[in-house]
Amino acid sequence: MSWSEFWESPVSDVTFESALRDSAVEVLQKMFFICDDGTPAPEGDNGTPEIAVRLTFEGTPPGWLALRVGKMAARSIAADFLGEEEWMMTDRQAEEMVCELANMICGSVLSRTESEATFRLSSPLVVPLADWVEPENATVHSVALANGALTIFMKAEIPACRSNERFVS
Amino acid sequence: MAYRILIVDDSPLMRAFARRVIHLSGFEPSECLEASNGREALDLLRVQTVDAILTDINMPEMDGEEFLRQLTHDEALRAIPVIVVSTDATLKRIDRMLELGARGYVTKPFVPEELRIELERVLGVACE
Repeated sequence: MSWSEFWESPVSDVTFESALRDSAVEVLQKMFFICDDGTPAPEGDNGTPEIAVRLTFEGTPPGWLALRVGKMAARSIAADFLGEEEWMMTDRQAEEMVCELANMICGSVLSRTESEATFRLSSPLVVPLADWVEPENATVHSVALANGALTIFMKAEIPACRSNERFVS
Repeated sequence: MAYRILIVDDSPLMRAFARRVIHLSGFEPSECLEASNGREALDLLRVQTVDAILTDINMPEMDGEEFLRQLTHDEALRAIPVIVVSTDATLKRIDRMLELGARGYVTKPFVPEELRIELERVLGVACE
């Protein structure tokens, strides 16, 4: 549940949850050739190095998206994306891939939930893991990858709603 | 026939991906030029000729909307077909970019085939 300033009450994030899940599935499948079959990622830190990124979005509603993924998995995905060998991928390219992944998933979610509005995404920034704070009250979607887990956290300030549920003046 | 295509995106990774898709789509031996924002793209277009442009929207310094606006107000550049490639699939944004003069719009995520079809359409060619 999220607090809605608009409705001045707690509201369900079901629509937002499904949009995040559907967007992750579509982005991973179309652009990164990964099948997200709904298998939940194992919980807990397995000790492998990770890359975390965060971006904010402006619009109705504003909010943010953060994403964490194992560094090995990120390199593997980047290699597939560019059609290169995994050993050729630099840390910088792996980070760029995670930023682009966050950008695409966020844009896809907002396009699904706010199809008649506009939004603006900030440039995704890599978050040093020392500065990472596990987001609270966010909508979360996790994907089990071959060599790591991908976890997406997203939070909108007010609930996204279908266009026919929105008041028009 | 070889085509020269300008890719405008602030992400080096997306530029590399677009280059790969173009080459895998039968446009070999097309030449791909790159710019990381609209300002760089306009500077480049003053000294180079291109057959088509792929542009992102959200970019630092000059975004895709302003780039398209300036491009279509330039007599020497306005005929170059532009395809917008963006994560923003909202109708409002798509309408706005088409009103500004974009000839095509591909939303990310996309499969390579979608970009190939749009490129073929704006270039008026059929790749084998």
